[in-house]
Amino acid sequence: MTELTTPNPAQTTLSRWRTTVGHMMGTRHGAIGTVILLLLAMTAILAPYVAPYTPLQQTTQSLAPPSAAFFFGTDNIGRDLFSLLLYGAQSSLLVGLGAALAALLVGGTIGILAGYFRGRVEVVLMRVIELFQTLPVIMLVLCAVALFGSSFSLLITAVALAIWPMEARLVYGQYIKLREREFIAAARVADLSTWHIIFREILPNAAQPIIVQVALDASIAILIEAGLGFLGLSDPSMVSWGQLLFVAQDYMDSAWWMSVFPGAAICLTVIGLNLFADGLNEIVDPRSSRGMGGLQ
Amino acid sequence: MLRFILQRALYAVPLIFVIIVVMFSLLYLIPGDPVQALVGDYPVPPAFRAAIEEKYRLNDPFFVQVGNYLASVVQGDFGFSYQHQRPVLDLILERAPRTILLASVGFAVAIPLGMLVGVLGGTTTNPSVDKFWTTTALVAYAVPTFWLGQLLVMFFALRLGWFPTQGIGPLVSRAHGLDWLLERVRYLALPVLAFAIHEGMRFARIMRASVIDTLAQGYIITARAKGLSRGQIIRRHVLRNSSLPLVTIAGYAFGSALSGAVLLETVFTWPGLGLLLVDSIRLRDNLTVIGVVIFSAFAVILMNLVVDILYALLDPRIRTSG
Amino acid sequence: MSTAPSAPLLRVSDLKVHFRVADRLVRAVDGVEFEINAGECVGVVGESGSGKSTLVRAISRLMPNLPLDEVSGNVAFEGRDIFAMNDRELRALRRSRGFSMIFQDPLGYLNPTQRVGRQIAEALSPDGRGRPDRVRVQELLDEVGFPDPARVARRFPHELSGGMRQRVMIAIALASDPKLLFADEPTTALDATVQLQVLETLYRLHKERNMAVAIITHDLGVVAEMCDRVYVMQTGKILETASTVDLFEKPQHPYSARLVSLSTHRLHGAGGPE
Repeated sequence: MTELTTPNPAQTTLSRWRTTVGHMMGTRHGAIGTVILLLLAMTAILAPYVAPYTPLQQTTQSLAPPSAAFFFGTDNIGRDLFSLLLYGAQSSLLVGLGAALAALLVGGTIGILAGYFRGRVEVVLMRVIELFQTLPVIMLVLCAVALFGSSFSLLITAVALAIWPMEARLVYGQYIKLREREFIAAARVADLSTWHIIFREILPNAAQPIIVQVALDASIAILIEAGLGFLGLSDPSMVSWGQLLFVAQDYMDSAWWMSVFPGAAICLTVIGLNLFADGLNEIVDPRSSRGMGGLQ
Repeated sequence: MLRFILQRALYAVPLIFVIIVVMFSLLYLIPGDPVQALVGDYPVPPAFRAAIEEKYRLNDPFFVQVGNYLASVVQGDFGFSYQHQRPVLDLILERAPRTILLASVGFAVAIPLGMLVGVLGGTTTNPSVDKFWTTTALVAYAVPTFWLGQLLVMFFALRLGWFPTQGIGPLVSRAHGLDWLLERVRYLALPVLAFAIHEGMRFARIMRASVIDTLAQGYIITARAKGLSRGQIIRRHVLRNSSLPLVTIAGYAFGSALSGAVLLETVFTWPGLGLLLVDSIRLRDNLTVIGVVIFSAFAVILMNLVVDILYALLDPRIRTSG
Repeated sequence: MSTAPSAPLLRVSDLKVHFRVADRLVRAVDGVEFEINAGECVGVVGESGSGKSTLVRAISRLMPNLPLDEVSGNVAFEGRDIFAMNDRELRALRRSRGFSMIFQDPLGYLNPTQRVGRQIAEALSPDGRGRPDRVRVQELLDEVGFPDPARVARRFPHELSGGMRQRVMIAIALASDPKLLFADEPTTALDATVQLQVLETLYRLHKERNMAVAIITHDLGVVAEMCDRVYVMQTGKILETASTVDLFEKPQHPYSARLVSLSTHRLHGAGGPE
C-alpha cells in the first residue's frame, strides 16, 4: 500500500496525548483547572471517609456559625455543613459527568450521522437539532421533574436532553470538515469500512474539540442541576449543593454560611471545568489566546 | 426581505404545535387520576369532575384529547386554574409584563456591559489586560445567578439595608414622578445586577471572540492604510461588525430569559411568570404549569423570529440576497 | 530630512523581517535593498512564499498580527525614516500625498456592512468631519472607470463583481492622492479579461497622475505590461534587478531565466495579452 502516502495526522495518538497532558500543565488555565477537577473528584470519592459527620447525622447545635468544631457551620436542623458539602460533590459531579456523557452519546451519534452521511439524513437531523435548540428546554426539564417527581436518573436524562444539541452541532461540524480531508479520501480508496473510517480515522482527529465541549457541557449540566436543586426539585435521597441553597433561602437573615459555602462549591466546580476546557482549547487553537498586535 | 420574514414565520408555526402536543402528552403521562392531574391538589366534587371530563374529552382516545386541547389553546383558552380560581390566560397576562420588565432592564444593562468588556479584552495590545478580563468573565460566568442573588440580598439588603430584599414594590404607589421612578429602581436594582453580571459576562466572552475575529479581517488593514486611528477603526469597523453574532445570541437569550427567569424570580420573590411556574409546580396546578410553558415557548419563538429579521437588517449580505 | 533632488521616492536598505511560526524562525525578508523613483513603475516578482508580500507590508507598516522576531533596516520615504515615525506622523502620511495599497482579495479588504461610497468617503476625510464629499467620491469612481459612479457608490461590496471591487479598492487608495501605490497581486484573483482591464486602469492612473506604482506579482506577464524595472525575489532575498526589457532579453540569474521562460511560454500558449 505504498500509494497511501497521505498520513492520518492523528496516527500517533498515544504520543500526542502524552504531549497534550504536558502542554495542559504548561498553560496556566489548564493546570489550575486540572488540579481543581482532581481535587473535586477526590472529594467525591473520599467523602464517606473524611467527612466528620454523615449527611443524616444531626448535631445538637442548629444554625451554628463556622467554628473549629464545624468548619462551615451547621444548617437549620443541625447538620454539619462541611460534611454536607463533601457529600454534595458526589451528586454534582455525577450529574455533570453523567449528563455530559449522555449528551455526548446522543449528540455525538446524531452529529456523526448528519456530518458523515450528509444527504437527506443531514437535512432531517439538523431540523431536529434546531427544534431542540428553539424549545425552552430548561422549562421542559423543570416540568418533567416537577410532574414525574425527582429521581437521579430522571435528573440526568432531563439535563442531558437540555444540552445535547450543542454537542451534536460540534461533532457535526468536525465530521463535515474532516470527511473532506485527503487522508479520509485515501482511507476510502483503500476500501476501509465506514465503521473504521468514522471511529478510527476521523474520531481521533476530532477528539480534542469534542472533549472541550464535553467539559463545557458538564459545567452547564452542573449549573442546571444546582438550579433544579435550588427550586427544591433535586433527588431528595442525595445531598446536593443546589438543594442546600434552596434551604438557605429561608435563613438568609440569620445564617449566611448556609448560602455562601454551597454556592462557592458550585462556582469552584464550574470554574474548574471552564479552565480545563480553556487550557485544552489553547493547545488546539493557540490563536484564541492571543491579544491584538499593533493596530497601527 | 418580505419572503424571508414569511419563511421564518411559517417555520415557527409547526414548532408551536409540537410544543403544545409535547406538553399535553406530558400531562397525559402523569400517573394517577387524569382529572386530578388537570386540577392539581384540589378537591373535586362529582359535578366538577363530569364537567372537566367533558371539557377535555378524557374518555376519548388520546389524539382527540390533544386535538381538543390544541383547538382551545389556539382560541386563547389555556384552561382554568382551580388553585387561583381564575383562567390561566388571565394569570399569565398579569405576570408576563413584570417578567418582561425585569428581562428588558437586565438586558439594557448586560449588553453594554458585555460589549464594553469584550471590546476592552479583544482590542487591547496588552496581553495581561486581556488575561484579566478573560479571567474575570470566566469566573463571573461560573457564578450561578440565584446564588449571586442570595449574596447580593444578604449584603446590600440585609446587612446594609440599601435595597429591599424582595418583591416588585407596592402595586399602588403613592409616590409620583422621580420618587416613583426611584422606588421602582430600588426594587429592580439587585435582580438586575445579578442578571447583568452573569449574562453580561457571557456576552463579553462572545464579544471578545468576535472582536478578535473582526480584527483579523482584511478591511481592518484597509482602514489602517487609510490612515484611521485606533479608536476610529474600533468605532467604525470593529464595533458594528463584531456585534452581529452578539445580536443573535442576545436575542435568543432574551427569549429564554422571558421563560427562564425562574431562578432569579424565585430568589427575589419577583412575582413574574417564573415565580408563577414554580408556585404552580409546588401546588401541582398543572394546567397553569403547561400554560406558562407554552406561553414562554411562544415568546422564545417570537423572539427568535425577531432576531432573524434584525440580523437580516444589520447584515446587508443577507438583506439584499434574501 | 535633507532630500537631494536625485534621491529616490522610496529607498529601502538592509530590510529584515523575521518571525516565528510554530517554533520555527522564518526569514521572510532577509536583507533587501530596494528603490523606487517618483513616477516610476516597478515590479517585484517571485513565487508565493518568496517574501514579496511581506516586503511591501513591512515597508508600508501594515504587517498582520504575527509574533515578530525581528524587523530591522531602513525605509526612507522622501528621505524620512518610516520605521522611526510615530503613529500620528504615519497616519498623516497615509492620509495625504504618501503611499496607499491595494490587495489581492478585494472582497476581504472591503467592509461588508458598509456601502462602497461611504468607504471611499472615509478615505477622503478619515476624521469624518463635515459632510461626506459625494462629488469627490463620484469623481474617484469615475476616474477608476465606472460609467455610473452614483449607482456604484450605493452598492455593498458583495453586490459587485471581483473586477469592480478591485476598482473600488483603487478608488479608496487614490483618495489620499498618493505619490506611491503598492499593488499586492492586484489581479491574481480575477478572470483573465478582467485582469487586463484592471491593469490598463492602473497603467492609465500611473501615467495620468505621475504616480509611482510598485506591483507585487508572481506573474511576469503583468510586469511586462506595465513596469519599467523589475526586482526578482526568492526566499526573502532580491536575486536580481534590471529594466524589464533587459530581464526578458538577458536574465542574469538562472532563477530569473526560468521565470522568464515559463512566462513567455505561457504568454504564447494563452495567446497573450499583447
